[in-house]
Amino acid sequence: MSQTIPEESVDVFGPDSILRRLVNEARWGLAVTRATLLEAAYPQIGAALMENSTFLTHPWRRLRNTTMSSRRILDPDPRVRDREAARLNRLHARMSGTDAQGRPYDATDPEARAWVVATLFESTVTMCRLSGEALDAEAMRRLYDEHRTFLALIDGTSDHLPATLPEFWSYYDDVIAHRLENNEAVGVILYRLFANVPAPPVLRGHPAVWTAGRAVASPVVTAITIASLPEAFSRRVALPDLPGARTLMQTAYLSAALATRYLPESWTRVEFFMGLLDPSHEGAGPWEAVRRQAGKAAALARLLTPASDEDDQVVRSADRFFAEVLDQTGDGYLRWPDLAAMAREIATRLDLGEQEEERLFQAYAAWWRELQTALDSDGDGRVTRREYAAAAACLPGSGLIRIADVLFDATDVDDDEKIDAEEYRNLFRTAFHRDLTGSGGSYSRSAFVRHFVSFMSGQQHSNAYTSLLSQG
Amino acid sequence: MAVPRHVACVMDGNGRWAAQRSLPRTAGHEAAEAAVMDVIEAARSSGVTWLSLYAFSTENWRRPSGEVDILMRLVRRAIRKHAPVLHARGVRCRFLGMSDPRIPAPLVQDITDLMTLTRDNKRMTLTVAFDHGGRRDIVEAARSLIRSATPADQVTEASFAEHLPYSDTPDVDLVIRTSGEQRISNFMLWQVAYAEWVFPQVLWPDFRATHFWECLGAYFRRQRRFGDVRQPTIVTGEDLR
Repeated sequence: MSQTIPEESVDVFGPDSILRRLVNEARWGLAVTRATLLEAAYPQIGAALMENSTFLTHPWRRLRNTTMSSRRILDPDPRVRDREAARLNRLHARMSGTDAQGRPYDATDPEARAWVVATLFESTVTMCRLSGEALDAEAMRRLYDEHRTFLALIDGTSDHLPATLPEFWSYYDDVIAHRLENNEAVGVILYRLFANVPAPPVLRGHPAVWTAGRAVASPVVTAITIASLPEAFSRRVALPDLPGARTLMQTAYLSAALATRYLPESWTRVEFFMGLLDPSHEGAGPWEAVRRQAGKAAALARLLTPASDEDDQVVRSADRFFAEVLDQTGDGYLRWPDLAAMAREIATRLDLGEQEEERLFQAYAAWWRELQTALDSDGDGRVTRREYAAAAACLPGSGLIRIADVLFDATDVDDDEKIDAEEYRNLFRTAFHRDLTGSGGSYSRSAFVRHFVSFMSGQQHSNAYTSLLSQG
Repeated sequence: MAVPRHVACVMDGNGRWAAQRSLPRTAGHEAAEAAVMDVIEAARSSGVTWLSLYAFSTENWRRPSGEVDILMRLVRRAIRKHAPVLHARGVRCRFLGMSDPRIPAPLVQDITDLMTLTRDNKRMTLTVAFDHGGRRDIVEAARSLIRSATPADQVTEASFAEHLPYSDTPDVDLVIRTSGEQRISNFMLWQVAYAEWVFPQVLWPDFRATHFWECLGAYFRRQRRFGDVRQPTIVTGEDLR
């Protein structure tokens, strides 16, 4: 009898969950990309994305975090699952405000969340259909139930998604026809994200190689995504229907399905592609050969191009620091969402519990108040690159010191007042670097705080901190 | 006697070469480039698989800053000019030393690129000692050994050598120091322990493939004994380790 089993110990998705299988297949990325676009067209979600999300400037990190998060929610262990759900809720609770037209948005809005799950379900169904392996009625019903369970796990209830499949389809068509809009987020994803997506960490050192490949791939990805969208949506937001795009899209889905079926399983699983997103795996893995060859091509290209002028290096590095580290949302200004994004990334990476996460956010908020008081003279709630560069080094730095302290506490899990090699690796995802640590194999609190403050005020470059706050 | 596996050159005499012609010292460095390329090709075609060149020592920073600047620029130009050829000929390039912050960033970038580009090449390994000091390498190795917490009684010559930079480099078999000077000048101290030394009178900018072959001839005529009295031998220092 199922009632006698305490609910906490039950694997709610069951051992043969369709969703869990799909989440591990790399081709599910096609469905997720499509779903993201449909989500962005939902007014509340579009506004939250534009205001808070770092997906435009750091799409790979975002992809990595989203993948990890979905897998945790689907984890058979209820503790992993519930912890992740609580973390997601805390993260989303910090995102609310008003969009450019003054309409309020809130990332915890239950209807918006239901729509996210709805698009994931419908995109998965579409993926199967386009791959030539359409789900039968029973499988589709099971998949739908699993999505409702998914929503119930993060939202506490699945009431905002219709109870049955026939009701779902009319709900879905209704939202497409009446709620979605052609907003900024849709345009940004289709025409800016794909065209400007920065190199994944594996190819980070070789921008020329990446730019060349992206110039070819970006229009293809855009065409595939547009062609796979529901007709009613494309009509409403006036997306172009390019000749050949449908064939291209069907070929892509079919190839992905065939690859999943016939290639060795290890090549089509998500882990294979996650290697691409992880800059720390040196010397092993299938991407190492790619990285090496790209590295050589880029080195040759640099050696063959005429020597550049040596003087604008300093200016460029200040610009890069602002763009890569500080301006997390990529809007050209330093605002609270940028600082919140940094806190979010650190909390995610160190997998912080509620209390430590709160401390970290409080420290960032204190730093933000300090910045606002000192730098934001016109009170418009944002700091420009110029304002920051001119005054950051002269700030008292107590806000930054507080962040560094919290960061040190959170990283130093064994509380020995030293960050050892493993703790360092958890934070920066790279090994100790000799000149960072001086002699000895650990990092003291004072050295840590000093490095962090001089890095964040733009006085000293550090590859480790740059990778913490910009890569991935 | 077999072709030496590892040949090293101390490129001496650029300044004197220039002075003899009433040219600035830097003209000598400029003229050295042709000799470098000639020797690389001569070594490669003779079957030498490791070639090391002493380009710039830790002591050379004491030279007038104008000369150092020009030298850095010359190295950068030479790297950019010859990188594709070195790569095409299968030469793996490495730079030994390179820790001084005074080395200009663009040069560091080019050197890194050259090393990246050629890192999988197999035909010959060219090690350029640049901002190099033999004692400093030994001190660094000692530090690294201490950091690895190796017990004192487990430290052997072989295990110590593993902590040297580019520890896969075999012992040097032959050192050629041009211009007749007969000093070691803090060059790869650990690796030259069993090396034969030859001191041709020719100044480095005039050194060409024929001189290189003459030096190889001198090496062949010597009997390498590694301290043994009985048997002239063809073993290399590497085999003794």
